[in-house]
Amino acid sequence: MLAIPSSIIRNMIAHARELAPHECCGILSGTASAITGYYRITNILAELSEQELSRFDGAKLSDLHRLSPEERADIAFQMDAREMAMAQRDIRSKSLDLLGFYHSHTFSPARPSQTDITIAMEFESYRAKLNFPEPFHLIISLEHIEQPVVRAYRIQESKATEIPIQTMP
Amino acid sequence: MIKVRIPTPLRPMTGGKSEVEIAGNTVSEIIDNLNSAHPGIKERVYDEQGEVRRFINIYVNEEDIRFLTGKDTPLKDGDEVSIIPAIAGGA
Repeated sequence: MLAIPSSIIRNMIAHARELAPHECCGILSGTASAITGYYRITNILAELSEQELSRFDGAKLSDLHRLSPEERADIAFQMDAREMAMAQRDIRSKSLDLLGFYHSHTFSPARPSQTDITIAMEFESYRAKLNFPEPFHLIISLEHIEQPVVRAYRIQESKATEIPIQTMP
Repeated sequence: MIKVRIPTPLRPMTGGKSEVEIAGNTVSEIIDNLNSAHPGIKERVYDEQGEVRRFINIYVNEEDIRFLTGKDTPLKDGDEVSIIPAIAGGA
């Protein structure tokens, strides 16, 4: 179970709607399995050069190459590393943990894509060495625009397991 | 020697190794020496202006070099440098 204040759920959905059709992304802070804070992070995907896209897996990469830079941000995100580092620093100064990451799926369901799983596993390979706790991965789906869906997952051994969300007042 | 953690996308350049030992007194020297041993790494880490690319964090131990003294951050034996791409993903 992952506890999240309703205000943070509303804010993540608002972030997704503001950036649609681009994907939004951000970081969640808190302790144990309760989220208490969130940080909007800029999706810089549209600003990346062709060469800089090479971190994506083969299938996603070929999709990205077919699209214009602007359109690429509709199907993927890349967090701004500086903003991410600043958020991590703020989280540490408050004696909280980086508890998770969120991003939106503008046109698809709220479940991790193969790309999400691959990059989550990449993060997993160095997470412990940097003393980050195991993250929750939250996805906001705007597939049905009037009924956004937010779901949380743990991603382990290339497999995503949904974790029920408990919305707090 | 400094232990440098290599992210998955750069491992083809290090023969698949996830960690390499490199000599250097600053982060900048480490990246230069890493590039001499494994050509191509530097241009993947730095942009055309020679700054760390916007999607990459370089940590010395657990601190991002942006909050230390950037590429001039001094290193001592036993320090660990991690080159980490920021989280990405997509539908």
